[in-house]
Amino acid sequence: MKRKIILLTVFYLLLLAIWEGVAALKLWPSYLFPSPLGVLSSLVAGFQDNSFTIGILVSMKRVLIGYGLSVLGGLLIGLAIGRVKVLDETFGTIVLGFQALPSICWLPIALLWFGLSESAIVLVVVLGSLFAVTIGVDSGVKNVPPIYLRAARTMGAGGFDLYTKVIIPAAMPSIISGLKQGWSFAWRALMAGELLYVSIGLGHLLTMGRELNDISQIIAVMIIIIVIGITVDRFVFTKLENRVRERWGLLNA
Amino acid sequence: MHLETVKKVEVLKPDRVVDLRDAICPHPLNVIRDTIRALDDDAVLLAISDHEPTALENAPRFCERRGYPYRVIEQEGLWNIFIQKIEKKEARLRVENVSKVFIARDGKVSALSDINLTIRNGEFVSIVGSSGCGKSTLLNLIAGLDKPTSGRILADGKRVGGPGSDRVVVFQEGALFPWLTVVENVEFGLKLRRVAHKIRRELADDYLKLVGLDDKFHNSYIHQLSGGMKQRVALARALVMEPSILLMDEPFAALDIQTRESLQEELQRIWVESHKTIIFVTHNVEEAVILGDRVLVFTKNPGRIKSEHDIEIERPRKPGNPEVFLNTKWITDEIREDGEDAEAGIREAAG
Repeated sequence: MKRKIILLTVFYLLLLAIWEGVAALKLWPSYLFPSPLGVLSSLVAGFQDNSFTIGILVSMKRVLIGYGLSVLGGLLIGLAIGRVKVLDETFGTIVLGFQALPSICWLPIALLWFGLSESAIVLVVVLGSLFAVTIGVDSGVKNVPPIYLRAARTMGAGGFDLYTKVIIPAAMPSIISGLKQGWSFAWRALMAGELLYVSIGLGHLLTMGRELNDISQIIAVMIIIIVIGITVDRFVFTKLENRVRERWGLLNA
Repeated sequence: MHLETVKKVEVLKPDRVVDLRDAICPHPLNVIRDTIRALDDDAVLLAISDHEPTALENAPRFCERRGYPYRVIEQEGLWNIFIQKIEKKEARLRVENVSKVFIARDGKVSALSDINLTIRNGEFVSIVGSSGCGKSTLLNLIAGLDKPTSGRILADGKRVGGPGSDRVVVFQEGALFPWLTVVENVEFGLKLRRVAHKIRRELADDYLKLVGLDDKFHNSYIHQLSGGMKQRVALARALVMEPSILLMDEPFAALDIQTRESLQEELQRIWVESHKTIIFVTHNVEEAVILGDRVLVFTKNPGRIKSEHDIEIERPRKPGNPEVFLNTKWITDEIREDGEDAEAGIREAAG
């Protein structure tokens, strides 16, 4: 562990030093090739005038609403097609089909339906992650060992209890990987959507950087987007996943 | 579910009084059970207990199962449990003309053909037979997990229409829930029954003690247990429901010999103490002889009961016992003949 930290620190310091060195050579104009120090001062400036903070908050609000809706919908649709054969044979094919469609392709329809509004962008986020969540839930539900259901039924479980106390917990490892994939799809869909029109969010800050020829700002915003994506993945989903794997005894098995 | 049908004890003059405070959990219920067995019909027993799970959950459930009228009165931290012994005359389980046909790709398979069987209260019945003889199918039908093609099954005089916690099954393996701890697994059924948290935790602990699982494993997850410990937990999870019939589907088949023998001994002890009605399915004849009061031999094509053997060997029975050995040999020989008959039949048909 300690070795890894030292290794990574040295690696990134070296990388930054090379980057700063190349920038100092001034082979390209500074609006095409930024220096790390320039990016750093952009970051500081962005947070000082609150434009980054506002961008982060606006984007987070959108992704939370959109992702929240798709988790809810994915859970319901996934349970339905996982448990009911007829729905699986019909609806299931639609889910698979839409999963193959890049989420940004929903933007034109979203704009036609909702105009340049909050709802349009949330719709893109929802449709970006809904199917990943649905597929995770669906495959988890389908793979629940029948013996769990039989055991639960002989102990008197039926109807709603069977879903909340057996099927969902038993499908949890697969549900969590669906949620994790859904999150990364939601985050990507949001950025793509925000890039395409004036929207105040992080994606819009990227567009603004381009319009102002401010490459340092672009890199700074990219770093923020990466950091948020990784942080949520690491501290929410990987944690959840590890906890479940530990319980089930799937860790280092 | 019997609650409405059970009349309350009207006369509070007991014919017999027992103090359960001396008993160790979860044995209070066994004290009640043993005392009642010795009582005359219609006699009233007063059991005094300071153990809340016994007074509010275990004893009432026991009475409801047996159809005994009862009343529980709390007095200064003690519970007075009045129980009247009114014995139902019905058998615990009746299987009447039951057949089961499965539709397979190459036509119909008759898994069970015209099974008739009566099992008395407190009886330990082993069912033995080669694979495919329909013994597990019968267990599933009794559990209500599957429906008979024809005939009917009566448990405590009521027709079996689906699964219920009065007929809990212990499966071969892999039926414990990996997302719950040991104690939570045992509490599962009680939670469905909406038993209060404190009481269900106490009951779970008591039954885990009963099956001999070390305290330090109560909060472990399932994957941390050995095969033998898992089956102990599965047994506790079934017993905690106080089912009127315990159904066991080859529960020890996947265990190594030492573990299997110690669990056979444990199960005999539990049965002697609780006098639960148990149906135990196995393909191991010796195991059937060691455990059962009665061994039913099943044969296949179509699945039916070929013979019945009363086993009158003193308990606890162990594998080395000469009487166990002899009985095992007789039954094994009979099964072997049956196999040869079947082969001869096939040759005849082919010739």
